[in-house]
Amino acid sequence: MYIMSTKQPMSTASHEPVIDARELHKSFGNVEAVKSLSFSVEAGEVLGLLGPNGAGKTTTIKMLTTLTQIDGGQAAIGGFDVSTQPDVVRQMIGVAGQSAAVDEKLTARENLNLFGRLYKIPRAERQRRTEELIERFDLGDFADRPSSTYSGGERRRLDVVAALVANPPALFLDEPTTGLDPRSRAELWDTVRSLATEGTAIVLSTQYLEEADRLADKILLIDHGEVVAQGTPDALKANLDRNVLEIHLELESGVGDAQELLASEENAVADVEARRIDIHVGNDADRSLALLRRLQDGGISILKFQLREPTLDDVFLSLTGSPSTEIEESTK
Amino acid sequence: MTTTTVRPASPPVVTDPSITLRVRRASEDTNTVLWRDMIRTMRQPDMLAFAVVMGVFFLVLFNYVFGGAIGAVAGIDYLQYLLPGVLVISALQGAQQTSMGLASDFSEGVNERFRSLPMSQSAVISGRTIADAVRNIAGLVLVALVGILMGFRFASFGGAVAAIALATGIGYGFSWMGAAIAAKVRQPDMVGMLSMFWLFPLMLASTAFAPVQSMPGWLQPFVTYQPISAASDAVRGLANGVPTGDAIALTLIWIAVLLAIFVPVSVYLYKKVD
Ligand SMILES: Nc1ncnc2c1ncn2[C@@H]1O[C@H](COP(=O)(O)OP(=O)(O)OP(=O)(O)O)[C@@H](O)[C@H]1O
Ligand SMILES: [Mg+2]
Repeated sequence: MYIMSTKQPMSTASHEPVIDARELHKSFGNVEAVKSLSFSVEAGEVLGLLGPNGAGKTTTIKMLTTLTQIDGGQAAIGGFDVSTQPDVVRQMIGVAGQSAAVDEKLTARENLNLFGRLYKIPRAERQRRTEELIERFDLGDFADRPSSTYSGGERRRLDVVAALVANPPALFLDEPTTGLDPRSRAELWDTVRSLATEGTAIVLSTQYLEEADRLADKILLIDHGEVVAQGTPDALKANLDRNVLEIHLELESGVGDAQELLASEENAVADVEARRIDIHVGNDADRSLALLRRLQDGGISILKFQLREPTLDDVFLSLTGSPSTEIEESTK
Repeated sequence: MTTTTVRPASPPVVTDPSITLRVRRASEDTNTVLWRDMIRTMRQPDMLAFAVVMGVFFLVLFNYVFGGAIGAVAGIDYLQYLLPGVLVISALQGAQQTSMGLASDFSEGVNERFRSLPMSQSAVISGRTIADAVRNIAGLVLVALVGILMGFRFASFGGAVAAIALATGIGYGFSWMGAAIAAKVRQPDMVGMLSMFWLFPLMLASTAFAPVQSMPGWLQPFVTYQPISAASDAVRGLANGVPTGDAIALTLIWIAVLLAIFVPVSVYLYKKVD
């Protein structure tokens, strides 16, 4: 016997979370990639998974999408346990992983058709959907070439589109905009927002604060597999409402002297080799001027300075009190 | 998050499929994967070309270089002896390509997509082994045509068809073994290296190129009963119009044994995630 539900598995009226993770844990050998991570995402909600390289974003997404085993804790999609009912869970998810997972010898059209068939979407619907996605994401120029010939961004777009073929109730996007040009990025942002409006529950990982800010209803800031902070973007930003004054000095020896002059500043971070000092100053222009003047009066020669928005690293600095592990440009 | 518009329909969720539904879906998925692998085969004609060139290479090398010496032992015209063996060896090469193909699915990342889809995971292998069998048939026909140009004669058309079918059958059995190796190792270069270890002993210590009497005594029991010998003898009988029931039966048993072991093993290994 089998039960075929003709409705969507979770009604959007109830507040049962579509994606539910409880105390997820995963180790690779002696690397604890994820330690006790809990969160839930409702229909229509976007969760931003924010964190530096190696934070555990990809591992978390792989656990939730049946791609890697869950070592500890529990995860459910639409009420079905990921570990014990992966076959049911796979009917409800779409995934765009960090590295492209498409057939390189097949064209975009063929790839989308292939995945649509495997999702058991009827032919007419499949073709309509494929053409709609090709149009929407501007894949038309290369849709009939094997994907091995695509540029990095083109392949990335195909991979993201592949996750959307079945319009699944739970969507997982692992750094979906990395490597996309501004136009494609904007298109993807629009799509994510409109899918959420239609009731899709979305988990999206990113290294960009701006992206999480734009898209996410709530943000989970993780580092070393643990939650560092969580909340709405606004709540987090309230925490971060401070610009950084970045001062570059002429001489390496000036850094020590400057540190002495700024000893009273809690948030000053000095980098001797780079001859640079960062200070969180908030939106207070007078304060910046006063600090610069103090250095100048103390005989420190300043090469240049700038006031910049907080970066992800600054977020970590202010939330954890210690610099996060190095944040590098993602090369993937 | 209370106000949501209606999501466009996605396929209905099946929570507890019956055996019949499961079988039907597995065969649909196999069909889909077969379609995908056939497209790949057409786009990589070098795979087929390689199999044919290997076959022709063996035909020419053994016939003109060793032909005289071995032919005397075999007691029949050497080309009549050799070609059926080469057909079996070509089918075995096809099995190695199953192994390489599945390993490259892992390295290209498309397996990660398959794994996240609501599909029968075994279809990834069953579709591929069928696609490889189809390519094998094309390769075997081409090798047989070259053999005919060199002077080989099939006893009858029916014998030719049966010979190619049996060679394809043993190749299909070994395809599942190749799939199991690829599902375990997953890296194309490792898979390529490992295939030397099963390909060469099976190929050379067999009756494909030379009769068992020409081999050292201690090796003869292995040579006599191993699957490639059984298949070579059976295919040779069919092609020359003197079918030997024992060899055919032994070949069919080997195919059954290979499938009984490697279908479940390869699917199990393929499904494993870390
Ligand atoms: N298969 C594996 N074997 C060993 N260690 C692993 C494996 N996969 C991940 N790790 C480790 O687990 C940690 C988390 O990795 P993960 O890929 O989840 O990070 P991430 O947040 O996605 O980083 P990035 O922003 O670079 O993509 C890292 O320290 C990584 O080295
Ligand atoms: Mg990652």
